[in-house]
Amino acid sequence: MNKDLVSTIADLNEQEALKIVKDRLSAGEDPLKIMEDARKGLEIVGERFASSEYFIPDLVYSGEIMKLITELVKPQLTREEETRKSGKIVFGTVRGDIHDIGKNIVTFMLDVNGFEVIDLGVDVPEQKFVDKIKESGASIVGLSGFLTLAFDSMKQTIRAIEDAGLRDSVKVMIGGGQISEEIRKYTGADAYGKDAMAGVTLAKKWTGVN
Amino acid sequence: MPIIRDISLNLNMRDVLRRQGLGEVAKVRPEIKILIQELLASLECSCMLKPVSAYEYYTVRSMNDSQILLEGGKAIHGPLLPATFPDAKELVILLCTIGPGLEKQVTDYTNRAEPLRAMLLDGIGSAAVDKMVVEVLKRLASESSSRSYEISSPVNPGMPGFPLTEQWNLLKLVNAGEIGVRLTSSGVMVPRKSVSMVAGIGPEMKRWTQAEICARCKLSKTCHYKVTEQG
Repeated sequence: MNKDLVSTIADLNEQEALKIVKDRLSAGEDPLKIMEDARKGLEIVGERFASSEYFIPDLVYSGEIMKLITELVKPQLTREEETRKSGKIVFGTVRGDIHDIGKNIVTFMLDVNGFEVIDLGVDVPEQKFVDKIKESGASIVGLSGFLTLAFDSMKQTIRAIEDAGLRDSVKVMIGGGQISEEIRKYTGADAYGKDAMAGVTLAKKWTGVN
Repeated sequence: MPIIRDISLNLNMRDVLRRQGLGEVAKVRPEIKILIQELLASLECSCMLKPVSAYEYYTVRSMNDSQILLEGGKAIHGPLLPATFPDAKELVILLCTIGPGLEKQVTDYTNRAEPLRAMLLDGIGSAAVDKMVVEVLKRLASESSSRSYEISSPVNPGMPGFPLTEQWNLLKLVNAGEIGVRLTSSGVMVPRKSVSMVAGIGPEMKRWTQAEICARCKLSKTCHYKVTEQG
């Protein structure tokens, strides 16, 4: 039975999903409609993750399926469609911390959910965030940190953004192994994401993406 | 400075799943299990895991509320230590690492846009460090036993009452450079898959379970990684 793309992605059936995409492209279907269905499938994955039916590896797996689908559809998109993004996000692991696996997962999930992510890497000084926000015009900043020492760096980065007069034009999310509401208050961030999907949900909310 | 290199890790699926936040009851997709098995098999035929541990015993000279003074004019600072090891005759400082190989492979997967492999392999690295610590502590317990002493459970810099700044001190006390571990300017160990710790040695030393450590942690209600830990 030929299942629909939304449920196939939601069920993380990679081979079936890719076959459906190829068939629909061959049939001359609108590539944007295919991408829309794929995103709906990804949304269901997010809901299943939120309800603990799926776990982080499942979430990342869904992102990899989405990436493959995007690669298949991309040649059929116009330049304008291809480069259309939901929003621009500057992301990095703050000064003093060099952990990157969590950051890489969040940035990957933001990317497959249609955001343009500018990844500054690890051990990123405050000024580098400020410069990149100015240069890119990003409306969201993601600060990642795994160690407790990262809390002060997050606070100082947000202060540097304030000092540069940019605080009102960006929303700041923080995330990492030890992050809690208490730490959010301490750093002055707008919100914290307890996992990769929470980061995506926040970015969608802040940019008005449904 | 004693160094242990012949450490057998024998990682299994359960060790790895715990580090992915997947408990006994979690339904793990066959695709994920196959990938983990592939990655575990790749460890066998590569240089990704090079477990090595350096340790040193120091005789306790005295202690006060904020530090333990050791032989040779050395000291370890932080109120957690005297509070945890009031009866210790010696302290053992221990450093374990699996080396840089696995991290390089994780970076390689990330650069090749394979985040699932990167994430799972990173978790395997964490599981390897966990298991390595257990194995090395068993050996140290055996050494202590041969001297009619016990070894306590360990404490790590970064725990409340044991500042992270003590990393510099600990790494000097075990000559970390000999096993290729260094600190960044902010005190993070490189390779990242490394762990430093201190344990007390004496006639009757306190031991505590992982479940007790988890219960004391502020993240105990939300942490994914304690779900299948043995108490």
